Amino acid sequence: MTEIKAIEAKGLTKYYGDFLAVDHISFEVEQGEIFGFLGPNGAGKSTTIRMLTGISTPTEGTAKIMGFDILKHSVEAKSVMGIVPDISNIYTELSAWENLIFTGKLYGVSKDIREKKAEELLQLFDLYDRRDDKTVEFSRGMRRRVCIAMALISDSKVLYLDEPTSGLDVKSVRSIRKLIRELNEDGLTVFLTTHNIEEASQMCDRIAIINRGRIAEIDTPERIRTAMKSTQAVEIAFKEQKKGTRELLENLSSVTEVQKRGDKLRLITNDSAQTLRQILQVIDENGLVPISLNTLGASMEDAFLWLTGAEMESEIIHRRNRRK
Amino acid sequence: MTQVTFSDKIKRSWAITVKDMKIYYLRPPALMFGILFPVALFFTFTVGRNLSPDRLIPVLSAQTVFWSASTIGPVAIPMERRLRTFERFLSAPISLISVLWGKMMAGFIFGAGITTIATVIGILWGNQTVSDPVALVLGIGLSSMVYSAMGILFASIPTGSPGEVIVPLNFVRIPLMFVSGMFIPVESMPAAGQIVAALSPLTHTIGLLNLGTGSPSVFGFAANIGALLVWLLVFLYVGQLFHKIIMRRE
Repeated sequence: MTEIKAIEAKGLTKYYGDFLAVDHISFEVEQGEIFGFLGPNGAGKSTTIRMLTGISTPTEGTAKIMGFDILKHSVEAKSVMGIVPDISNIYTELSAWENLIFTGKLYGVSKDIREKKAEELLQLFDLYDRRDDKTVEFSRGMRRRVCIAMALISDSKVLYLDEPTSGLDVKSVRSIRKLIRELNEDGLTVFLTTHNIEEASQMCDRIAIINRGRIAEIDTPERIRTAMKSTQAVEIAFKEQKKGTRELLENLSSVTEVQKRGDKLRLITNDSAQTLRQILQVIDENGLVPISLNTLGASMEDAFLWLTGAEMESEIIHRRNRRK
Repeated sequence: MTQVTFSDKIKRSWAITVKDMKIYYLRPPALMFGILFPVALFFTFTVGRNLSPDRLIPVLSAQTVFWSASTIGPVAIPMERRLRTFERFLSAPISLISVLWGKMMAGFIFGAGITTIATVIGILWGNQTVSDPVALVLGIGLSSMVYSAMGILFASIPTGSPGEVIVPLNFVRIPLMFVSGMFIPVESMPAAGQIVAALSPLTHTIGLLNLGTGSPSVFGFAANIGALLVWLLVFLYVGQLFHKIIMRRE
């Protein structure tokens, strides 16, 4: 018997007036997975998460959470998920304790369990000593932790995290990432939307890249990265960069583009071996003194930019006109 | 999967009510439009008119219940939209109608509570006898439900600012005071005015409060109760319908 998918989206579509925000996207998330949903600003990440959590009604398509249809069996579907939106929407007039207890009541968690769980979560998130303070006095990182704790007060099987570390200091980011990993190790499925490529790359089992409302790619971070053979690069730094050096490198037959990166020049190429040979020749012939020379594979950032930049501008017009 | 029972729904709605009571009862817009405004209006229209307590108390109670009960929804919901805490309800295992019911109860308790205090003070101060306690209690209780539901209906306006809900609501609340027999007795109105008065829920609130303090009700007890119940159902139905439409658009 096949295991029920944690999330199953089929043809999810959202129009705002004539504007197509999410365009018939379909994907599945396995139980116990950390699934990254990556895309530039305005790509449709938050709209997708709003549809998957029942906050927004899809114009077309369906989504099932642990087998429950989000529209037809919304109460059951919502019972198994916890949500951390992109802003910490906690009640700042209430204390951390009251926020957790209220959420527990809203999810129908019995008094004994919600009080026990609230205590555990506040201790886990290092907020127990401040439990009776109104959260208006909390820092952004502390509010974020309260928000995540609220999402975990019920017996969630799927946790949605929308930009969980955005705008936080390094210490808070690390503690939240560590916590997400620990929760996942305990069996929680995590759906993580982010525009932080490295975060997605480090944390996720699989990544979907969304651009202009469509899924551009779904795969493991490593496979997405290695599929980007066309964007290998050679990076070189000279002791002293003579005038005209950049032009010399741009004229190499194997180089498609030269980018300035601080005191280095990055040469984008399809054939790094040939580029290396050509660079050495240029160095010899022009008396240049290199201080570092590195070959680089495609990074997740390269893959992301390639996948999200590949679509033509005409696509926007196509999407706007499609409904007419 | 555990089934969500009716009792569970009530408990979850009540959690919303209690939370709203803690957060919104002492908010400046709630105090302004829920307490100060009806009291100020009462004095504006009664001082110097030499009205007897049996005429004054229904006006005081009707003003108070009308303004206070209809204020909490329009204060709470836009603020929750702005802070995106309203989304918490939409993504929680609770139906929209249960959410709105919880919010309506917060308005009901606010309205009924303040009006009870105002009415008791009025009765003691005027040394007034309560001749029909049932009519008086229903006049306050049922009316509080109706106006709280009216506030929830207006709070479906998709905005993050309470002012943008309260202003259009006042365009309804203020004219209603003048067509409901509050300052001009219904019997003195022309025929068209009497028809409008019959349709206004506030007329029926005053009718019940009049009965409570020993004065007659123009349309009678049964008509007053029936009209308020119909308005309650209309406000509840249209309110949840509008909230659903807004949800579909968002």
